[in-house]
Amino acid sequence: MNSILFLILRRLRRPLILIIVCFSIAILGLSLMPGVDNNGQPWRLSIFESFYLISYTATTIGFGEIPYPYSQAQRLWLTFSIYLTVIPWFYAIGKIITLLQDSALRQAITTERFARAVAELKEPFYILCSYGESASVLAKTLDEKGMRVVVIESQQERLNELDLAETRSVIPHLCADAKLPENLIRAGVHHPFCSGVVTLTDNDEVNLAVAVAVKLMNPNLPVLARAERDDIAANMASFGTDHIINPYTLFGEQLAMRVHAIGTYILHEWLTDVPGDTLLPPENPPRGRWVVCGYGRFGKSVVQNLERENITTTIVEATPELTGCDNCIVGSGTEARTLLEADITNAVGIVAGTDNDINNLSIVMTAYELNPKLFVVIRKNRRHNDTLFKQFNADITMQPTEIIAHECLAHMIAPLLAQFLTLVRTQSNSWANQLISELVSVVGETVPERWAISIQESTTPAITELLKQGVPVSLHNLTQDPVERSKALNLVPLLLLRDNVPMLVPPIATGLRIGDQILFCGTPDARSGLNISVNNIKALTYVIDGIEVPDSLAWRWFKGFLSRK
Amino acid sequence: MNLEKVIFGFFIVLAMTLNFGFFLGDIDNAHHHHVYELYAAIIVSLIATVLKFGDRTHVGAILLSTSLAADIQLIAAAILWAALDGKMDQASLTVYIVSLSGGALMANFVSVILLISETIGQRR
Repeated sequence: MNSILFLILRRLRRPLILIIVCFSIAILGLSLMPGVDNNGQPWRLSIFESFYLISYTATTIGFGEIPYPYSQAQRLWLTFSIYLTVIPWFYAIGKIITLLQDSALRQAITTERFARAVAELKEPFYILCSYGESASVLAKTLDEKGMRVVVIESQQERLNELDLAETRSVIPHLCADAKLPENLIRAGVHHPFCSGVVTLTDNDEVNLAVAVAVKLMNPNLPVLARAERDDIAANMASFGTDHIINPYTLFGEQLAMRVHAIGTYILHEWLTDVPGDTLLPPENPPRGRWVVCGYGRFGKSVVQNLERENITTTIVEATPELTGCDNCIVGSGTEARTLLEADITNAVGIVAGTDNDINNLSIVMTAYELNPKLFVVIRKNRRHNDTLFKQFNADITMQPTEIIAHECLAHMIAPLLAQFLTLVRTQSNSWANQLISELVSVVGETVPERWAISIQESTTPAITELLKQGVPVSLHNLTQDPVERSKALNLVPLLLLRDNVPMLVPPIATGLRIGDQILFCGTPDARSGLNISVNNIKALTYVIDGIEVPDSLAWRWFKGFLSRK
Repeated sequence: MNLEKVIFGFFIVLAMTLNFGFFLGDIDNAHHHHVYELYAAIIVSLIATVLKFGDRTHVGAILLSTSLAADIQLIAAAILWAALDGKMDQASLTVYIVSLSGGALMANFVSVILLISETIGQRR
């Protein structure tokens, strides 16, 4: 705020000096002009009276000739004064108004406000260094979960969207270049409550610059960055970027997962989706020969992963020399001739993976006419084409923004979840199917909440207190309802981390120890129920022994008295 | 040589000298203190204040604050003069006004000292 005040003062220097000089001349002259009072005696206005008169004249208020009618000399000087003072006065007012509309000043004010809003945050928050499609999904989900978010975005139009969006808590946002370290500092890189920086712009260089800047300024801060080019990703990794997200690689891996382990894939999707959504059971992609249209970063990742699953592919590419594809059919795939050349009628699946939505739709429509049994994978680049894609209803619609958002959520909401998912990938498909059926029986068909608790004095006072007293607390106790202990809460412990050793789906009888970290998934009700047991020693004792600990001192004494007898 | 610096120094020194000129004389003798001299001191002091606006350095901030201190006392003297003229005896009113201007003189004096010390510190 200080700097803004100085900015205003500096700009107003010239008009203010002009006003002072003009006023002083006018006042001085007026006090020297000879006049005559009602009795015909010579009389002159005092300096104070002159000041009063010039003040009301210059501001065009004009009270008239007081206290006596003026002499010709006074009127002459006053006429001169009017022109001398009124013009600078309006000049100054005009200058002030221009200054208030000045874009530099406004920018300074909004920047200052943003920095203050961030500095005043009293709870953990994430910095989003863009507000594109994936970042807006991310911001919305985090906000719904009650986590605070701060946004820096270089395009004002996107921020206007954020302005209009209904959010639970205020999202401070600034229209600025996230690459500049000063903007990152304003966004709270040094803030004690900052829990991470997420940079998801579609420009790899920007993401790299942000990741490097953050790691240099605050090396302990987790950074999630999007990178599509391998060299950029390697560069980020060398700077210690915690999570590098490449939507194309991720999708390729997921597609491969779908081909060979559909159960693992469903589990993965289910646990990273937005809580409350219902998930449709996905179809299993068929084995056989696939036609891949577009051999860009997306196409390459798909082909690579399909080939790892021993699926042969035929590549259709419009500019093979640009994409480095040696063995492919030249053409865009939008016309039937190219697709026939790729022997579409005998293929089992088609991947439309160019970076143009309309071309992708055209490819699959043409292919579908030639071979209606095809399994269709389509890449969607822009979210506003949603309606068109819904109309077509492909078997798999790949949308980079959603993949990125899911991946980020997995890392941000529950860091244990990312670890869990990595472990899941090493498990067999049947194991995953079994876990899914167990989860569905407990939490229902909708996407559950995921959360982690760590057994510590500050987060779970009731458990630590009982453990210190020597009372064993098991995982089973945490799944009991603190209102009615015979009932079970709708939650499942997914992972237990003890001394950095993960235990996948720990048995319910496992005893807890201080320092354990547990990942749960379950309904929102179960989450609040668990919150009661871990914080309230009375509730936890009831859950363990079925004994209601009395609240009042008198009743407690009475109980003790009874039990001694 | 820089015209801006000349004007800046001129107004700061002029503010002090005018103030001193008004202050000079018997403290209770109205004839020793002319109203136009106070008027000139106020105007020059105001201009000096505005000239100091917008300097973000530490010395700049102190210079501005000394000027504001001088302005306040000079304007207070002028208000007393305008409000109480003819309502109380001339001698005691003059004492009020002149002592206020004496306070302003101190502030202006500090301002000039700061200006000199900064100039010496420049070593060019």
